[in-house]
Amino acid sequence: MSVEQIVLRAPGTARLRRRFSKSMLFAVALLATTVYIFPLFWMISTSVKEPADIVRDPPLIFPRSINLDIYAELFGNPPEGAQIPIDGLRYMKNSLIIGAGTMLLTMAFAVPAAYGLARFRLRGSGPFMMLLLITQMLPEVLLVIPMFVFFRELQLTNKYISVIIADAALTLPFCILILRTGFLQVPRDLEEAALIDGTTRLGALRRVIVPMIRPNLVAVTLLAFLVGWGDFVFSLSFLQNQELHPLALGVYNFIGYYRIRWEGVMAFSTIIAIPVIVVILALQRYFVTGLTTGAVR
Amino acid sequence: MQQAEQLSPSRSRIAASELPRRLFQGERAGYLFLLPAAVFLLITVGYPLFDTIRMAFQEVTLGTLSRGERPFAGLTNFENVLADPAFPIALRNSLVFTVASVFFQFIIGLTLAIILNEAFPLRHVFRGLLLSGWRIPPIVSGTIFLWLFNYDFGFINFFLEKIGLIDEPVRWLLNQDYALLTVILTNIWLGIPFNVILLASGLTGLPEDIYEAATVDGANHWQKLTHLTLPLMKPTILATLMLGFIYTLRVFDVIWVMTGGGPVNATEVLPTLAYRESFNRFNFGEGAAISVIMLGILFIVALFYVRTTSEENM
Repeated sequence: MSVEQIVLRAPGTARLRRRFSKSMLFAVALLATTVYIFPLFWMISTSVKEPADIVRDPPLIFPRSINLDIYAELFGNPPEGAQIPIDGLRYMKNSLIIGAGTMLLTMAFAVPAAYGLARFRLRGSGPFMMLLLITQMLPEVLLVIPMFVFFRELQLTNKYISVIIADAALTLPFCILILRTGFLQVPRDLEEAALIDGTTRLGALRRVIVPMIRPNLVAVTLLAFLVGWGDFVFSLSFLQNQELHPLALGVYNFIGYYRIRWEGVMAFSTIIAIPVIVVILALQRYFVTGLTTGAVR
Repeated sequence: MQQAEQLSPSRSRIAASELPRRLFQGERAGYLFLLPAAVFLLITVGYPLFDTIRMAFQEVTLGTLSRGERPFAGLTNFENVLADPAFPIALRNSLVFTVASVFFQFIIGLTLAIILNEAFPLRHVFRGLLLSGWRIPPIVSGTIFLWLFNYDFGFINFFLEKIGLIDEPVRWLLNQDYALLTVILTNIWLGIPFNVILLASGLTGLPEDIYEAATVDGANHWQKLTHLTLPLMKPTILATLMLGFIYTLRVFDVIWVMTGGGPVNATEVLPTLAYRESFNRFNFGEGAAISVIMLGILFIVALFYVRTTSEENM
């Protein structure tokens, strides 16, 4: 800020000063953004380098060519005599199952709850929202201990469903809050008109409201999926059976090996992160609105 | 992320009062919509929370669980936790980790939010990219930084040597003196999107006419920042700091994957200690006792926040 101030006080035409401060802002934003996204770039870059280039000094910033061998090895068929054969597809399948389960379970509870909060004047909906906010703040580690004991008693450990339930519980409050904002934006006249036409409340919900908040629905659905997709803590605690481990746990197991193959670790990381980055970039408007309801408008 | 909801509680009330009378006829039906989610959360969050507090006063190990009993243990778990030499270290590390992370995340987030609030080319692209890491599983971010901070081939050692800040590679994660700093640096990166989102939307909400008046009165950028922006942003800033504290105190995965709490106890924090106690030593009672201590700290922070904001309103 101080450089800008000096510049702004200096003599010169207002237009020149404005143009200068604009290029300053642009330069600072460019620098900050570059530094910020470098780790993500480095992850992808490492995963597509030749193994020999990864341990080069000085390192290559950009890979000389795009080498997808490690992806083929991890997510296709490991070559004969591979040091540590890793079945990436199995990890991916597990992540998909946990993601899909979390998504279905979360949405089944979130859609009606958000609708109820937005459309009815209920005693207790204030405290209920307060509880949702508090739920989000609870440490994962705090929940994972009693949940383990609980699922162990029900003999649900070593089953996907234990991880799915835990992830859904953690995601549900945020999803309800985002969806509620969406429902609040639907003009009441529309719903009223549908009701006058003799449609039931559920019919109005399905035919009138849901199409209108489709972007919010898509955003929340994908978010719930991604929470399950990237799950780590619950899988680490509930799933002793390696056959059930999702991708994030694969990365963790991978690091534990004596000889870390960084291109492999980064390829796994890339596979987990890319869907998350794409969804956030494409739909961030909805998440941001959900995060900061009221403050934005 | 939630303070905004609390800042505008009138929204839902106004919205509801606009509802035509006839929609209220089936008012009770509303509870049916809330019921499934409420029951689900009661079982999956409410009960575990209650059980944590109960377990903290019981003897719960794999042995007692197999026998299907959980004898009352009074304060034994707390006494054992407090007697563990790792506990004061974890407590101290947790506070250092949380305060340092939140402070720098906030400073960087506020600076970026102020910059992004100005008009310049491509600012929406920058804004988008600066949020791109939000929601990447922390385990993945931790892994990326594990590689960046690698002793032999890590980019950071190379870069710092290149610009002459260090003469020889630093053992970031293997040295007890640097390990905590390293996980803090990583966690600062992790928290930037969250801080930018909250602070940037707080800035967009500020009334423009006050700034125009200040410009007419000849205020410069710095004066506008210190005399207008920061005071007007105070509620958002307080909420961001409090939420930052709450979300940082509970950080587990990043540290677990980067250092596992080590070397020795250098990066042990309360969540890693609670986890280790429960899942490595299978002493769930002591793990729960540490959780309860964490809850106590969170409660104090929340209380402090509520008091500060309610004084604000009076």
